[in-house]
Amino acid sequence: MGEFEVHRVRFFGLVPAGVRCLACQPRGARLALARTDGAVEVYNFAANYFQEKIIPGNEARSVEALCWAAGDRLFGAGLGGEIAEYDLSRLCVAHSVDGGGGPIWSMAANSSGTQLAIGCEDGSVKLFQVVPGGIQFERNMDRRTGRILCLSWHPSDTHIAAGSIDALRVFNVSSGQTVQRIMVNYHVHKVKRECIVWSIAFLSSGTVVTSDSFGRVQFWDWERGTLQESHTVSTSAVLSLSVSEKEDSIIVGTSTGATYQFQLLPVKTGSLEKRWVRTKPFQYHTHDVRAVAHSSTALISGGLDAQLVIRPLMEKMQKKGYDAALRKFTFPHRRLVSCARKARLLLFQFSQHLELWRLGSTDETGKDGEVLPLCRMPEHLVQLKSKGPEHIYCSCVSPCGSWVAYSTASRFHLYRVQYKGDSVSVKKVPKVPKLLLPAYQLQFSADSGRLFIASARGSVHVLQLLEPGGCKHLHMFRPPSGCPDAVYLLAVSADGHWLAAVGGDWAIHIYNLKCFKHHCTVPTYNCAVTALAIHPITNNLVIAYSDQQLFEFSIPEKQYTAWSRMVQNSGLHKAWLERDSPITHITFNPKNPSHILLHDIYMFCVLDKSLPLPDNSALLMNQSTLKQLPETARQRQLHAFKICKKFQPLLFADLLDDNCLVMVERPIMDFKTQLPLPIQQKKFGT
Amino acid sequence: MAPGKKAAAAKGKRGLPAALLSPPSSEDEAPEEVSFGAAREVAETERKLMGEAARRHRELLKEKRRRRQELFVEQKVRSPLTPRFAPPPWPAAAPRPANCPLPAETEAAPRGRAAGAGRRAARTVRGPWGGTGGPKGNYTAVRLKDQSLTGLHQQLAKDFLNTQLYGPDTNRVQANEFFSLENKRDPVKKAAVQFVDKSWGEYRKSQSRSY
Repeated sequence: MGEFEVHRVRFFGLVPAGVRCLACQPRGARLALARTDGAVEVYNFAANYFQEKIIPGNEARSVEALCWAAGDRLFGAGLGGEIAEYDLSRLCVAHSVDGGGGPIWSMAANSSGTQLAIGCEDGSVKLFQVVPGGIQFERNMDRRTGRILCLSWHPSDTHIAAGSIDALRVFNVSSGQTVQRIMVNYHVHKVKRECIVWSIAFLSSGTVVTSDSFGRVQFWDWERGTLQESHTVSTSAVLSLSVSEKEDSIIVGTSTGATYQFQLLPVKTGSLEKRWVRTKPFQYHTHDVRAVAHSSTALISGGLDAQLVIRPLMEKMQKKGYDAALRKFTFPHRRLVSCARKARLLLFQFSQHLELWRLGSTDETGKDGEVLPLCRMPEHLVQLKSKGPEHIYCSCVSPCGSWVAYSTASRFHLYRVQYKGDSVSVKKVPKVPKLLLPAYQLQFSADSGRLFIASARGSVHVLQLLEPGGCKHLHMFRPPSGCPDAVYLLAVSADGHWLAAVGGDWAIHIYNLKCFKHHCTVPTYNCAVTALAIHPITNNLVIAYSDQQLFEFSIPEKQYTAWSRMVQNSGLHKAWLERDSPITHITFNPKNPSHILLHDIYMFCVLDKSLPLPDNSALLMNQSTLKQLPETARQRQLHAFKICKKFQPLLFADLLDDNCLVMVERPIMDFKTQLPLPIQQKKFGT
Repeated sequence: MAPGKKAAAAKGKRGLPAALLSPPSSEDEAPEEVSFGAAREVAETERKLMGEAARRHRELLKEKRRRRQELFVEQKVRSPLTPRFAPPPWPAAAPRPANCPLPAETEAAPRGRAAGAGRRAARTVRGPWGGTGGPKGNYTAVRLKDQSLTGLHQQLAKDFLNTQLYGPDTNRVQANEFFSLENKRDPVKKAAVQFVDKSWGEYRKSQSRSY
């Protein structure tokens, strides 16, 4: 693997926001997720659960409910009182309509996706019509006191069940009248606090399922107003509930972080009478589980500990394999750190500010695994705060460290950073050319002379950076066949000749920067691109896909390289393909042209193209065994993948110069203490 | 505690009137003889005691009502919109219209609030009397823009959510305690997750800083 001096960085204080809402696309393989800071993300299940779209949040926006309607349209509503439709191609809020009832607590779409019902703070349920281009207010239902915390349509769209404080109500959609009101706190003795119905579901058999703050999941017959079954699953509140499409399985999430599955099972084998039974308990979260979803094959839960957990159900899986593995996602599938190699600076991107740090240095050397003392500590040089409520989309620092750029939804900022001895001065570059904002990805060229801005509709802008602090718009690249989505990944070659850009349609376009023309398109692959980089010497484009495949495309020759064809023929190792997180960064070592350095959240790998590829019978992570073998035996067992799992969870890894690596880690316990308070768990013996 | 309870119960039993404890066969006997004067005295003292109790109760209620009334009057006087200051000790009519923005502001402000528009700059107006003429205390005039209705509703909704999830009844615990439990129960005991609580000595530090 080589000997490296590793800068182990743990001062990136990222605290991911908790998961607040989940919504499965009804007839698709996508999951929409909303966080407590207002960010909305879309995960593509078919592309190995890749986080394909991120819409950054906004301080003024809170999302309390998310739903898919009319096929592909995503709507969100929150305590600001507005219903927003998200434009998933331009990754922003397309338009928003005021609900007219104060803060909106819940929203649900009917089964055909043509109407939206919202539950408001003032106790009213309002109906909106989904029309092309937006939504339109239709009418109000019967309004009573008590905020509507949860809503559910009956599958036939004739009735709506709404849960509020101490009661649940059923409305007739066509007349708008309340046809049933059931008091929910009747069965609780000697308790003075109110019973909050946190979530509700309406089954086609006429059963209404509620979960409340006393930790009960109750099944009601709405026509008679009676309680059919009551299950107490927890001493703390049950915050979320989701029913499968076939209505034979329910997942509930509690405040303690536990999730439970209820299944409709026959009382005796073969009997027709069925009852709901609490079957599987799971404890995957440490904090409140405020969102759950039930897809056709998996139970999905999202907690305030920022984790998204996808638990495939064994009985729905055809074969036992990696498809049935538990998936947990805490960190985003994007790079939040950029590195100025020559200046040894790191730029950390937070939701509303950027931090520029200079790495420490050491004079000493040591043996493998030794911790070296620092002669200069890492220094926090600059903190750039973004004005306004919008969160930052992307940021970048130039390799020489003298330019910093970032973009929010409506503003683009470019700064010139000057270092005079120990002091640092930051000056804003005025008169930045007007572009269609936001910028989705930023990349500086290797000589820090140009800035590439990824924009909407597949276009990339090229800005020339002028000394002492100015810029000029040079060119705008567009894909030849047009693209509705924005570009989300960029890669520039070291000689400044080539630019590669990937849009939301997953097509990789390569542009020639000398003559400003489109050069070629990489053959399409049916999976999302997660990382891209151009080799400094051979100008080969190395591509990592979300299903963990690796390709190498020669740009001058416009075809895959021989090594890439060999990898595809022999196939990658099973342990490589069964990794949980995507590769987010690829880089190269100029001194060793056959090395490719890549990393994902749990491992760092040096891929040596000159060595043979391992077959499935060999051990993939064999670095520790190789160390113990004598030289001759080692030569026989060497293979191309040299993987190190010492640094986890890894947010960023890069090569500073030939013997120096920087690894930015974010240990999970470091941010868990900054999350909202968890519920006390009584453990035996404490 | 249990034996004490038993003793009290036993005592109570002994304290029950004789008529209830006596066997049923003694119901045929006549009640005991009591002279008319003694009975009248007993009844009078009882009535007096009851009267005293009722009077005391009424006085207490009156007192409470009086205190509440005073509080309301005080609050009304303290409201930022009412003119805080008593009329000047001197009957100077001239400086008033020019220097006193308060009555106009009072009238305009409720109208403004009802209309939902209207902004007034925040000023702590002391008036031409230097703030010494009227009742003691301060008031501040606030900008109506800062008290938007949507913001207020949103704040109420957030407060409701916070009380329900993190309020007094919920069984929440500090993160340090929650995560350090495993460290303490391991066969090899480790330090707590946040070994040094940075809030220790905060008060003392802030005091020393203010010096």
